[in-house]
Amino acid sequence: MAPKADLLQGSLDLLILRTLDLEPLHGWAVSKRIQLLSRGVLEVNQGSLYPALYRLRDRGLIESEYGESEEGRRVKVYALTRKGRAALAREREGWRLFSGAVNDVLATN
Amino acid sequence: MGGWRWMKRRFQVLFNKSEAEAELDDELRFHLEKEIELNLSAGMSQAEARRRALVAFGGVERHKEEVRHVRGARVLDDAVQDTRIAFRSFMKEPAFLAAVLLTLGLGIGGNVAMFGILEASLFRALPYPEPDRLVMGRVTWNGQVGQTVSGPDFFDYRERSGSFERLAAFTPWSMPQTLTGEGEPDRVPSIFVSPGFFAALGAVPVLGREFAPDEGELGGPNVVVISEGLWERRFGSDPDILGRGVTFGGTPSTVVGVMPASFRLMADVDAWFPLQRGGAWAGGRQFHNFILVGRLAPGVSMAQAQEDVDRISAALAEEYPDTNRDKGLNVAPLKEALSQRYETTLMVLMAAVATLLLIACGNVAGLLLARGSARRGELAVRSVMGAGQGRLARQLVTENALLAVGAGLVGVAMATGLQRGILSFVSLDLLGRVEPGLSGPSLGFALGLSALTVVAFGVIPALRLAGGDPAADLRSGARATGGRGATRFRNGLVVAQVALTAVLLSGAGLLLRSFSELQGVDPGFDDAHLLTAAVQIPSAEYQEPAARVEFFRQLSERIAAAPGVQKVGFTTHVPIRDPGGNVRVDRPELFGTAGVFGRLAYRRAVMPGYFDALGIPLRAGRDVALTDDPAAPRVIVLSQSLAEQIFPGENPLGRTVGVDQGGSEPATFEVVGVVGDVVPSHPAEGMEAAMYVPYSQSAGSRMSLAVRATDLAAAATAVRGVLREMDPDIPLAEAATMDEVESRVVADQRSMAAVLSAFAAVALLLAAVGLYGVLAYQVSRRLHEIGIRMALGADAGRMVSSVVRGGMTLVVVGLLVGLPVSYFAARLIREMLFGVGTGDPLTYAGVAVFLGGVAALACALPGFRASRVDPAVAFREE
Repeated sequence: MAPKADLLQGSLDLLILRTLDLEPLHGWAVSKRIQLLSRGVLEVNQGSLYPALYRLRDRGLIESEYGESEEGRRVKVYALTRKGRAALAREREGWRLFSGAVNDVLATN
Repeated sequence: MGGWRWMKRRFQVLFNKSEAEAELDDELRFHLEKEIELNLSAGMSQAEARRRALVAFGGVERHKEEVRHVRGARVLDDAVQDTRIAFRSFMKEPAFLAAVLLTLGLGIGGNVAMFGILEASLFRALPYPEPDRLVMGRVTWNGQVGQTVSGPDFFDYRERSGSFERLAAFTPWSMPQTLTGEGEPDRVPSIFVSPGFFAALGAVPVLGREFAPDEGELGGPNVVVISEGLWERRFGSDPDILGRGVTFGGTPSTVVGVMPASFRLMADVDAWFPLQRGGAWAGGRQFHNFILVGRLAPGVSMAQAQEDVDRISAALAEEYPDTNRDKGLNVAPLKEALSQRYETTLMVLMAAVATLLLIACGNVAGLLLARGSARRGELAVRSVMGAGQGRLARQLVTENALLAVGAGLVGVAMATGLQRGILSFVSLDLLGRVEPGLSGPSLGFALGLSALTVVAFGVIPALRLAGGDPAADLRSGARATGGRGATRFRNGLVVAQVALTAVLLSGAGLLLRSFSELQGVDPGFDDAHLLTAAVQIPSAEYQEPAARVEFFRQLSERIAAAPGVQKVGFTTHVPIRDPGGNVRVDRPELFGTAGVFGRLAYRRAVMPGYFDALGIPLRAGRDVALTDDPAAPRVIVLSQSLAEQIFPGENPLGRTVGVDQGGSEPATFEVVGVVGDVVPSHPAEGMEAAMYVPYSQSAGSRMSLAVRATDLAAAATAVRGVLREMDPDIPLAEAATMDEVESRVVADQRSMAAVLSAFAAVALLLAAVGLYGVLAYQVSRRLHEIGIRMALGADAGRMVSSVVRGGMTLVVVGLLVGLPVSYFAARLIREMLFGVGTGDPLTYAGVAVFLGGVAALACALPGFRASRVDPAVAFREE
């Protein structure tokens, strides 16, 4: 199994926003999508996922509505709001700056 | 998201809780199912797939709790959730809920009721304009504040003082006057007031005016001011009442004003007559019949007014040394002076209800602790599910706050009723202005009290309970007794309750002992089977003293002949029933000499046969006789103690005494008889010196009568019939049996003893229940241990005594604390005691025995239960 990385506080929000930027997803799909996109490195602790989803929804960055799952079951589907899209762009930029800086620090040797 | 939308969502979440919860459930279940599916497709067995999924997911409930945490408007959300949980758990235990609400509600209700009375009588401003400027004037003797001021002194103060905008005098007791003319004769409570009385208080008549200055001078017109009540009742609210002639006591008077129904000072009065300077009512300087009421002139302070009247008092002492040597006038704020008499009573009752509330809080705290311990399991489950300790404590405090609010509501609902009850017991008629009802301050007080009770009984148990490690409890499946700390806390509660109960019981005990002493006082006459009443003959129709004597002679004869009547006696003052009327008496040669003022003794005019009718023993000489007429020498009968005071060691018969009857010289009388002493007014004051003159030589228009008969109701009817036959315009007034009269005069003492006893009984009950609760709880927690002991052959008797001993230790500690406190608390009621001291050993011993006995009973029940434990059952209960 690939080594697992713990998610930094705050980065989960960014990852959720990013996955939802592609298409609306239900909660389970969000966690699987993150796992997939990170090639199995990032595994979202389900205990953190739902609180994060509710938190983001409360902040108005995502919204939820009922849709259908692949099997035609009624599930809650989350989608990015306009405000969420703007936040994603902002945080993406922030992350780039941050990760670049961390890389710079780590590279100096 | 805008603030509004945020709010909206919060409220949606709060109020659509179940919907939100269902969504969350759905979502999490879906997540789990997908995980299981994934695992299945990876080739796991159904069971394994499910197990793995659950492990990966963690506790479902834990996630829910976390999501809730994020989701809600936390505090508000929790509060609502707590409230729901609280209601649910209360509904499961209606008996617990009822016990708490009733106990605390009664405690709060009693306090609110008492506070309302206190507030209305002591703290609320008088219902007159600018009440701060109102003063009461009372006589002082050698600096000691007494009560009534003499008429002539009042006129001098009024004339010479510049400190008052108005200064007026009034008689503090109402004298019924017979109103005749329209329909049945009516006895109307009346007082005399000087002109300016109403104006001083700032009271405005609804109709007409108050007395003019000239109506307060000798020879002024016969006028009267009547109450709105009398105006309605008797005159049908006749708008033309002013100037109308009405007949009071046979004298025609003109109505000049009608006072509003709300006007009241001290007594209930329906007619006010003007006090005339130099008139019969003003009296001499040695007769003190008036209380003064004044309004300070603008800018004059209480102290300045006092200085001013002191200067006048000094001048009067010089001008009239015989009467005014040691006399002065005290000026005090009216409200303070009015409330003074009730202050102690009210404060003691307030302290008593507050104590009761403390005991009630103790009980409820005990109940909550016991219930809390039983709920540790529930709390542990919630704790494991992720509820923090603070969260749990908040839950418990919420529950307790709800209880307190509920109890507060119950208390407020009961307060008015309780207030009525207390007011019906404790007479506040002198004040005459306390109506039951809840004022703003009372409600505020109720609120504060409820909040305080939460702190007192709610917070400590809550912290105690939530502070442990409930999860550990759950793991061990422990029957937690709540730990050593909780046990100590519960024991402390019992000790405090016992101590407080001892204080209330001691107070009640002292008052009960006083009351029984009071009732045991020998009145000096035979007070059984005695009917008393008053007869006032119109002085206009019976102007000649001879006519009055003839009237009463005939009345006496006819009543004596009436069926069922054994004896009848007439006097101006029936003992206990008609107090007052003391004057100076001494050997005539001693009057006026330096330092001799004469001795004070009660003067009464009596008809022949009076002593016999009352059973007052004739010690020497003879009774008065009808032959003692105005032409005959003036004679007098002395009471035994008076005879001994004036003629120590000598035979008083045939000697002469001088009596100050208001003239320039004392009137002289020949002593013809000596009778036993009686209690003239209040039993607490005991027997006092008295003298009796024949009515035939001192015929006034008002007499009291005492009829001895087996059937007093029948006698009253017979006497009424006789009176109606003789003169239909004369009513039989204030008919009452001597038993009623006696119980009326000791009413204050009795009601105080009764109220405090009731409080003490409630306290005792609460403390006993508290004690029982604690022990029963301990026994139920120790069932297992007791079962083992019993199985090993422990003796049942020893089981009982071990439980009882544990409980009684607490009781003894409580008594050791409570009794000394009681001794000091008793000083509060010292002035209410009669015949017993604050340290009365009998009372304290009685309290210890009584309280101990009840406590032993409360201990014995759980002890008995312990002795009946069946080991098999105890083990099964495991």
